[in-house]
Amino acid sequence: MSHQDATDSQATPTRLPAPMGCHIDRQTAVEICFEGLRYQGFAGDTIASALAADGRYLLSRSFKYHRPRGPLTMAGQDANTLVQLPDEPNVLADTYPISEGLNATGQNYNGSLDNDRDMRLGKFSKFMPVGFYYRAFYKPKGAWKVWEPLIRKKAGLGRFDLKATGDYHDKAYLFTDIMVVGSGPAGLNAALTAAEAGAQVLLVEQSPLLGGALTYARFDAQGHRASQVCQEQVAAVEAHPNIRVFLDATCNGWFTDNYLPVIQGKRMYKVRAKECIVASGAFDQPVIFRNNDLPGVMLASAAQRLMCHYAVRPGQCAVVLTGNDDGYLAALDLHEQGVKVAALVDMRPGPADEALVETLKQHAIALYQEHTVFEALGDKHLHRVTGVDIRRISQRGEVAAESIILDCDLLCMTAGYMPVYQLVCQAGGKLSYNDAAAEFSLSNLPQHLYVAGSVNGLHNLDQVIQDGAYAATQALFSLGLPTPGTAPIGPPAKQVNFPWPIFAHPKSKEFVDFDEDLQIRDIVNATRHGYRDVQLVKRFSTVGMGPSQGRHSALPTARLVADATQRSVNETGVTTARPPFSAETLAHLAGRSFDPYRMPPMHQRHVQLGAKMMPAGDWQRPAYYPCADGHLDRHQCMQEEAQQIRQRVGLIDVSTLGGIDIRGPDAAEFINRIFTFGFLKQPVGRTRYAAMTNEQGVVIDDGVSCRLADDHFYVTATTSGVGRVFQSMLQWNAQWRLDVDIANVTSAYAAVNIAGPLSRQVLEKVCTGVDLSAEALPYLELREGHIGEAPTRIMRTGFVGELSYELHVPSRYGEYLWDVLMEAGAELGIRPFGVEAQRLLRLEKGHVIIGQDTDGMSHPGEIGMSWAVNRTKPFFVGRRAVDILESQPAKRRLVGFQLPAGSAQPLEGHLVLDGPDITGNVTSCEYSTTLESIIGLAYASPDQSPGSQITIRVEGGSEVNAEVIKLPFYDAQNSRQEM
Amino acid sequence: MATLQEALAPKRTPLYHLHQARSGGNDHWQPLNGYAVKGALDDSKEANAARLTQCSLSDLSALARLGVRGQKAAGFLTQHGYHLPSAPNQALKQPDGSLVARLSASEYLLLGSLADAGQRIIQHESQWPSHQSGMYCLPRQDTHAWLALSGPHISAVMAKLCGVDMRPNVFAPGQVAQTSVARANAIVINAGGCFYLLVDTALACYFWSVMLDAMQEFDGQPWSVTALQQALES
Repeated sequence: MSHQDATDSQATPTRLPAPMGCHIDRQTAVEICFEGLRYQGFAGDTIASALAADGRYLLSRSFKYHRPRGPLTMAGQDANTLVQLPDEPNVLADTYPISEGLNATGQNYNGSLDNDRDMRLGKFSKFMPVGFYYRAFYKPKGAWKVWEPLIRKKAGLGRFDLKATGDYHDKAYLFTDIMVVGSGPAGLNAALTAAEAGAQVLLVEQSPLLGGALTYARFDAQGHRASQVCQEQVAAVEAHPNIRVFLDATCNGWFTDNYLPVIQGKRMYKVRAKECIVASGAFDQPVIFRNNDLPGVMLASAAQRLMCHYAVRPGQCAVVLTGNDDGYLAALDLHEQGVKVAALVDMRPGPADEALVETLKQHAIALYQEHTVFEALGDKHLHRVTGVDIRRISQRGEVAAESIILDCDLLCMTAGYMPVYQLVCQAGGKLSYNDAAAEFSLSNLPQHLYVAGSVNGLHNLDQVIQDGAYAATQALFSLGLPTPGTAPIGPPAKQVNFPWPIFAHPKSKEFVDFDEDLQIRDIVNATRHGYRDVQLVKRFSTVGMGPSQGRHSALPTARLVADATQRSVNETGVTTARPPFSAETLAHLAGRSFDPYRMPPMHQRHVQLGAKMMPAGDWQRPAYYPCADGHLDRHQCMQEEAQQIRQRVGLIDVSTLGGIDIRGPDAAEFINRIFTFGFLKQPVGRTRYAAMTNEQGVVIDDGVSCRLADDHFYVTATTSGVGRVFQSMLQWNAQWRLDVDIANVTSAYAAVNIAGPLSRQVLEKVCTGVDLSAEALPYLELREGHIGEAPTRIMRTGFVGELSYELHVPSRYGEYLWDVLMEAGAELGIRPFGVEAQRLLRLEKGHVIIGQDTDGMSHPGEIGMSWAVNRTKPFFVGRRAVDILESQPAKRRLVGFQLPAGSAQPLEGHLVLDGPDITGNVTSCEYSTTLESIIGLAYASPDQSPGSQITIRVEGGSEVNAEVIKLPFYDAQNSRQEM
Repeated sequence: MATLQEALAPKRTPLYHLHQARSGGNDHWQPLNGYAVKGALDDSKEANAARLTQCSLSDLSALARLGVRGQKAAGFLTQHGYHLPSAPNQALKQPDGSLVARLSASEYLLLGSLADAGQRIIQHESQWPSHQSGMYCLPRQDTHAWLALSGPHISAVMAKLCGVDMRPNVFAPGQVAQTSVARANAIVINAGGCFYLLVDTALACYFWSVMLDAMQEFDGQPWSVTALQQALES
């Protein structure tokens, strides 16, 4: 256990003195738990740095062979540090900040993290070659069913807490002139240059501090330059009013027109940038040798991050393996921080800057040139590197027999750099590789996208800084802002990539892809199976498909494939980079979901009455209200409500019905063309049924046309269909150019239907300005008057088959209308009724509901609505198709059917059979208390006539025979609705 | 101030239940244009002036509004003394404080003045025919709820709900956007000092709640229309 003194602001046994540790606050101690043991770190530590400070480097087990793994990049670029939190698997320990009481464990082990019984799988690696999944478990036929559960049990990382509740995540748009991705020296200077010229700049940095490589890397032997540049540039950026800085933020993709998702905390910003400068830097690359995955083997930049960011001394004795001069500088950093550097192993004949050799000598650091680490040696359990086997490089990828064994507990490696090219390639940029110089370059960038710094192949600090200014200049020019006139940067000042840092070992375990445990031979074997294309190698071997998405495996894979297929890396290319750049949660993608719902003005009254609500389109409607005994039983409530309407009076909210105002000199002509009936002669003050067909002759909606004036129709439509009807009307009149105004006034009116034999009595108590007598206001007539103080359109309708009035008022009066009617009807026992009862009542009357009793093929003749089609008028939408359809032999017909009470009740969708043939399906079916039987509507063969039988297959597969009934089932003379 | 029961009238705004639920009691209601509206707990000038600097959402649904469109709408409105914006998606403040927003080449939205709760428009609505040749009135009072978003974080709040750039330097006073806000069709008007938001009345409760949700990180609070009236006057 670590027991560091939080008040010690300087060095502790494992912490380095300031200025090391720029990310941590040594005044704030934070205790965490890992694998059941307590560790103490500081605020600003990550899980991995806090554990490393206490000497714990084994953090995880690899995916396939369960090999021990520790920090590799300390930048969240690899899968080595994936750990489990109580409610979240696969957390990157090297970037996840600690908090008091955080409890983490390892994952993907059998036994304990330190003693994983599944590690023995590594011994069978020869028998699990790449692609063996595809070939091993599918033969003989049916074998997969046996293997699948076993493989599923072993596969996968981490555990998901199924009881976890979602956190609040949201999204926001963000608009800016220029977005700069990355705040290293190029990004900082690009942001400053652009801001100075007047541009609004968003600077996005993945880590908690600005500066990028300036915060950890060394750019000169003296080690002063980086911190000096960093301080100056960061101070200037932070003080600049035109620069908005996002820290701990990741730009996770590039989409057309610089649409850039940036994830910060629990929010995804959808950034719209006029110009985008990608200064994303470069990934330090590993060397491929045996056991290059042991804990304690890490990228040189990772060791520098541990020291500079977290003040953690990454080991006692180090060996540095390098393919460029930056390894020398890393060795100097380690030496300065008290790590004994046992050797610097340079794969090249010597450094580009020869003075570095002298500097090493001054610090008594042994130098091996044209050498490599052939194998990292570990302790018995491979929990930590304990030494290295160094060999002279005899030729490309091969080593001499003589070995030098050195003890160490830290092996830092850097083979070169791979540009962080993902965003640029998502934008269509082309990544090219110069095989001779081992350099990358990006080209084919779209307009308004620029690259700067090491992603652009530049690694000299001065060049990188200038390149930032140059990219900003280009962006400013595009914005039309004044430009400082910087010139393009020349070729890279030095080579940073060692051309072949790959050393096969007879005992293998030289890992190309750490995520997937892929070794050199796995990649080579994939090419021998005929997968010559690097994309196919990826899919066959799964290289680059793990969490690190090829950040460290893409380049060695390309090199190996090129070599195995006698091509150049430029010819093979690298695998495609697709969004997201880094792992993102579904919560981020979902954000704060918006799910609009609509409520009629009297919604609160329904809630207060305890209604069971149901969705109808995006509306909430009462399905039914509590029955007399207070229960919310669908059947009982529906039947009670239906009986109430048949015997007394009830009130239903129909505000969700669509309402469209058609006004103007051509209003009647317009209505006449849109709907199937004739409307030219519809009298003012009358309503008329209005069905609508599409050009295919299919009935798509219906409602009631109310003529309020010669030039004014108010047309209702179905709740979910009004949007389509309105759009269709606008679309047609764009062609017809009739002189009408079409307005969707659905929300402008609240409406109720007061129905039942006592409805007139209720209405007479509160209605003024209208004679409600049957003679003065007969069935299908319309008047305008007042209910209380509310101006009201009063229509005699018959949907439920009883005396009823549809009352439409401006929505501001909706709740008032409800209150007035409920109060007036109280002494007559008025009750509200819901959609379920209304559906039963209309079924008794044989009225179809468009969308329920019709489908995408139903034409008027099929559903018994030929009466609603005017044959004398020259045109309506769908007329020609209706004529054609009805001239052909009918294939089906909607019929009413009846079953005795107590029969098995068909459900909507149940099939209607004629012997073995399906002739149709049930569209509506319910028990009717009034009729004391089960009634329904169904499509059946057209030759069915009243009195014949149809066979319906019901739940469980049994069949019932129902009698076909002439519609309606109830009050065939319509005497009740016309009273 | 009255209780809700005392102030409640036949005309009701689509949001009054939400205001009632939030207040937890029936105090501080008052009539406005025949509607019961929630009054402010502290209507002092100082309190209201201070409140203008905070993120606030007000329900202006009790104020008068009316739509007019048609080929002759511009002439009709001009004849009745309205100054019209020169192009669609612009709004023009009238001398009496009301606002005319031009929604298309031939459609206008009249929003009543906070100062008189839109009396001029109420009067015109009662006098004008609902339609005549080339001019059609639209019942915006009933189709659209009217909210006002005020305070220093308006564009930040809107950025959480809407894909249109509403930064002050881009979406200046007098600009109009007819767009999707939190997946609801909305008319957004920079009225100078605050944004007006008009949405379908049936969506008002949904919209009010998502607005408050988006305002939460800025300590946003509902603010009574009467207090907003006073604050903007002062």
